Amino acid sequence: MELAYDFLKNTGYAMADWRYLMMIAIGIIFCYLSIAKKYEPLLLLPIGFGIIIGNIPFFKGFGLGIYENNSVLHYLYFGVTTGLYPSIVFLGLGAMTDFSSMLARPKLMLLGASAQMGIYFTLLGALALGFAPKEAASVAIIGGADGPTSIFLTAKLAPHLIGPVAIAAYSYMALIPLIQPPIMRLLTTKKERLIRMPDTERKVSRKELVFFPIVGVLLCCFLAPASIPLLGPFFFGNLMKVSGVVDRLAKTASNAVIDTATIFLGFTVGASTQADVFITPKALTIFFLGSVAFSIATASGVIFAKIMNLFLKEKINPLLGAAGVSAVPGSAREVHMTAQKEDPGNYLLMHAMACNASGVIGSAICAGILWSFMMK
Amino acid sequence: MVFDIARITANNGWAMAVIGAVLVMLGLATLSLIIAQLHKIIGFFENKTIFPPTGKGEAAPAAAADGDVDYLADPESSAKRYKVLTEKLGDPFDLTQLYQLAQRDQLPHPHLTLRTLREAGLLVPAGEGTFSWKTA
Repeated sequence: MELAYDFLKNTGYAMADWRYLMMIAIGIIFCYLSIAKKYEPLLLLPIGFGIIIGNIPFFKGFGLGIYENNSVLHYLYFGVTTGLYPSIVFLGLGAMTDFSSMLARPKLMLLGASAQMGIYFTLLGALALGFAPKEAASVAIIGGADGPTSIFLTAKLAPHLIGPVAIAAYSYMALIPLIQPPIMRLLTTKKERLIRMPDTERKVSRKELVFFPIVGVLLCCFLAPASIPLLGPFFFGNLMKVSGVVDRLAKTASNAVIDTATIFLGFTVGASTQADVFITPKALTIFFLGSVAFSIATASGVIFAKIMNLFLKEKINPLLGAAGVSAVPGSAREVHMTAQKEDPGNYLLMHAMACNASGVIGSAICAGILWSFMMK
Repeated sequence: MVFDIARITANNGWAMAVIGAVLVMLGLATLSLIIAQLHKIIGFFENKTIFPPTGKGEAAPAAAADGDVDYLADPESSAKRYKVLTEKLGDPFDLTQLYQLAQRDQLPHPHLTLRTLREAGLLVPAGEGTFSWKTA
């Protein structure tokens, strides 16, 4: 009888409290959003299921939990804490990215840079709220709207915050359709949203496409060497794609490699949200600051586009500024759809992808810069 | 958590934010300037033999990749290039196979070139639909 009682005492049912149940409910909501609403399913489904797995209460000391040495989850989590998965994801991302629209419209790259301002505003906000500088930098990078970059920087600067930062970053990326359109509409007039971008861009040659990753990696990584683990694989993946001589490798990087890394990244990040270490006032503040960061990033992109229009003969549609965050291709799609609601014949997708691509580079540079600042 | 601006100053936050923002703007602006000029720079230093054509992007480099040979106007030169392809096919060879090899190597206008070679008498029928090169 005593044996049965001890067993029951050690089951998850007996050990569960409201925190675990709340996290499991969040995991189920993530799964629901990914399956039923198709919000970023490639990310939210592994994360959602990871949250469920990570919040099943267990008897400590068996080597089961993600924070316990020698557990399987702990070994899988190694790829997150070392920054390995984000680098691999960037390799695949590079092999999937077509820079031709950006190369044809280089001035749109500035929107990718301006949308990074959300990062620095949030850095100030986090410092003012009492976060330590390394923690503040990890929270601020959420404004880049780039999950792997956020995880990478947090793993290097404030590993204890990986869970909340990653969940916040991916949540806001998934919520782009809810967050960005109101900001875009608030900051633009109908006349501005109706601006059509020229279709007659010059054709980008293969030589340009081949030279770009080499020029890009040299310029960006010389500027911020700390971004090498992200931008190095990113531009290498792109070179494999555009060179045309290693199609097999490029296809593998853009399929099997990135998919494998995404599965383990999402699943272990989800599992790292163990209620007893995740539900803290700091985590809630991170969620709040994350939403501020993302909103400021969107707004600063749009406002910068409006400022550019003061000097440009040929006006650009300021909605494009919102695509300067690096949530590829979610924000580009949202910009396109917002423009189409005003004018169904206005096709901004390719232009928005140009901003998006530069946003990826911009947020990785920001991560490198922030990491460099914290090295002292 | 209390919002206190003094903490920003204490942690050198203003400098980090301003320098960080300026650096990322400068970095991407420079990259933007360079890629805006990239096609001109490439045009200036163009070495056409470096890049084997892939069929994507430009249409022209295929012709350029072979040392500026005008395959239609210069049958003798094109015969030399096509003879390399037929080495693996043996003699006589099938024109369809030669056509496929020319396509694989992305030689320009393989169909027209083969017709030109035939009309110039450089490709001669060897019976049963096969062809050989004209012997000197």
